[in-house]
Amino acid sequence: MFTRARRSFLTGAAALIATAATAMTLNASHAQEPVTLVIANSQWVDALRGKNLWNAVQQYQKVAPNVTLVQEAIPSAEFADKITTEMAAGQGPDIAMMQDGLFYTAADAGFLVDISKAVEGVENLNATNDHGVVNGKRLGIAWQRAVYALIYNKPLVDKAGAKVPTNVDELIASSQAVHQATGAIGFISRHQVSDLTGFFMDFQNWAYGYGVNWVDSDGKLTIDTPEAVAAVTAFKKMYDARIIPVGDDFPTQRTRFKEAQVSFGIDNSGGTLNIASGAALAPGDLAAAPLPFQHPGAHQQIFLGVSTHSKHQEAAIDFLAWLVGPEGQAALREASGPDALATDVPVTEAFQAANPWAETFAELAKDSRSTLIPGYEVQTTQIMRVVMEAVERVLVADDDPQAALTRAQRKIDAKRF
Amino acid sequence: MTPGSSKWLSGKGKAIAPYVFILPPLAYLAVFMFWPLARQMWLSLTDTRLTNPNGGSFVGLENYQWLFDDPEFYTTLNVTVLYAAVTVVLGVALGTISALAINRPFPGRPLARAIMLFGWAVPNVAASLIWLWMYNERSGVFNDMLASLGLDRVSWLTSTHMAFSSIVAVTVWQVAPFVMLVVLAALQSVPDEVREAARVDGADALSVFRAVTLPHILPSLQLVSLLVAVWSIRRFDIIYLLTGGGPIGSTSTLVVKIRQTAFESHELGVASAYGAIGLILALLVAFVHFVTDRRRQKWMAQ
Repeated sequence: MFTRARRSFLTGAAALIATAATAMTLNASHAQEPVTLVIANSQWVDALRGKNLWNAVQQYQKVAPNVTLVQEAIPSAEFADKITTEMAAGQGPDIAMMQDGLFYTAADAGFLVDISKAVEGVENLNATNDHGVVNGKRLGIAWQRAVYALIYNKPLVDKAGAKVPTNVDELIASSQAVHQATGAIGFISRHQVSDLTGFFMDFQNWAYGYGVNWVDSDGKLTIDTPEAVAAVTAFKKMYDARIIPVGDDFPTQRTRFKEAQVSFGIDNSGGTLNIASGAALAPGDLAAAPLPFQHPGAHQQIFLGVSTHSKHQEAAIDFLAWLVGPEGQAALREASGPDALATDVPVTEAFQAANPWAETFAELAKDSRSTLIPGYEVQTTQIMRVVMEAVERVLVADDDPQAALTRAQRKIDAKRF
Repeated sequence: MTPGSSKWLSGKGKAIAPYVFILPPLAYLAVFMFWPLARQMWLSLTDTRLTNPNGGSFVGLENYQWLFDDPEFYTTLNVTVLYAAVTVVLGVALGTISALAINRPFPGRPLARAIMLFGWAVPNVAASLIWLWMYNERSGVFNDMLASLGLDRVSWLTSTHMAFSSIVAVTVWQVAPFVMLVVLAALQSVPDEVREAARVDGADALSVFRAVTLPHILPSLQLVSLLVAVWSIRRFDIIYLLTGGGPIGSTSTLVVKIRQTAFESHELGVASAYGAIGLILALLVAFVHFVTDRRRQKWMAQ
């Protein structure tokens, strides 16, 4: 009996070892196969930041020399269109870094695979990853979360003796004061529906700042609330004060900020890092402050996802596992400035010292909100088009904010999102 | 070559030769034009979404019904028709005047012709970006000129009453040189002796133009008007880069709306319905051209 039991135990153990050995051999041979992973990201085209981010992810090739990473660099204005079209056609990259709106669209369309294996055993994933779980499946991991703040050119503001604003009236007054004293542009802001995605995401800071939710407690879309009217009225007041370069697209406005020709702006941490990188405005001359509104503002979130059309899904998941691990996060931290990452990796002391503005962003990230409308993540762009067209009517045609938003509410009710 | 094969070539071979020659272009058109067109027409009858281009269901004329119930559709249609009409009138008029101006030899004519062709030679995207800067409210050259004259700055692309005129100006700048080239070629074919005879008979310059020159260049003018009209109906780059269809839809043509519907709302079915309307509009223009051409030929024959 004992002998038989021992024999069967030994047989079982031998079988287990043999299976494990075979699996290890298979994994080893799998790991040795040359694999090319195409990674799509709009940030690859960013001056300096794109290069730094690419250098960070390429460190993966040290631990996986058989993997070749290839960029698919698409400018942000075309990124969503191109990725959606590619994925719908059964093509596209293996891995995509997607703004949250695009991420939810891709998840809803079934373009993304379950990547829960990539975060197995990762204990320190932070809250930025929470929305990467869709219908119980982990389809996304946080790449970066970029919170918004009020940024300003400190030497210009000091020269004009202007106050760092805490409300919209002060923002207008300070912007005008700097313009009069130095000739610089007072404030930069997206203001055209032709740049819909950027405009609505930036405008959410004004909306949230005035307490807008866009949905009520029952999940019904509420567009013409008193808070929304107040937000649009405040935005119109800023627009009419002629403190922004009307007609300029936002990349141009950012370039003007980089060239030290702008006093104030509302931008996210990624954009601010771009402004602070390698131009006339030294990072130390850039400062950040809380948004000039009563309530917290917004953040933009970028998720990593693996395409269902990828022929190397396992290799892509292995790459993501490395990226959320200590090595990957440390590499990404260096290149990401103050953006929140998938795990809580503090910015380096050297970065903090060189970029004093970064601390404000970290503080504001604690209570910032997604630019997407809760419960309507996939439809947010369509809903916000109606809202932003109402805002444009107020700005350009002097429409009454209340009347414009009431019409927008009717239109949205009729569309039955 | 045997006598038999030579006989075959002059018999059956000759009969099928035209079909052999026409087959490659026909195959090309079938693959790259007729099939996509048929597919688009089919898509316009389905609820296909961009995220699942092969998964739409047949919905009949629902997309068209939706369009006809939407007030924005009529705004878009009005803008498209107006844009095409104004572009044709101004582009063809300016191109014709330019052609008449440089038809006769004068010192520096080749240089003048090269400069006048510049708008047509520059790629649309590059030209649009240059115009975007010239129209810039804060630092554009137009507003700098106005400011130097003590006038107020103009919101060329961001106000509803100026944006349409601004994109028409760019389009005319781009289209007129092409018209000029076509009309110039037609003017070269006007016999000098007929013009001379009219002058000898006492006709003034305007009468010579109306009685001699115009009938000669009319077929070219008709053709070029048709081309400019169809190009205007389907033009995307200039409008999208300058205004994106705004402000408040004041420059939103059918093509701009197609992009918005397909890529923002992901509604390929509705976008295809917009495309079908654009196609009908272009066919309507071609039909008008056909009818007026027939009338002109009858008039010429009398």
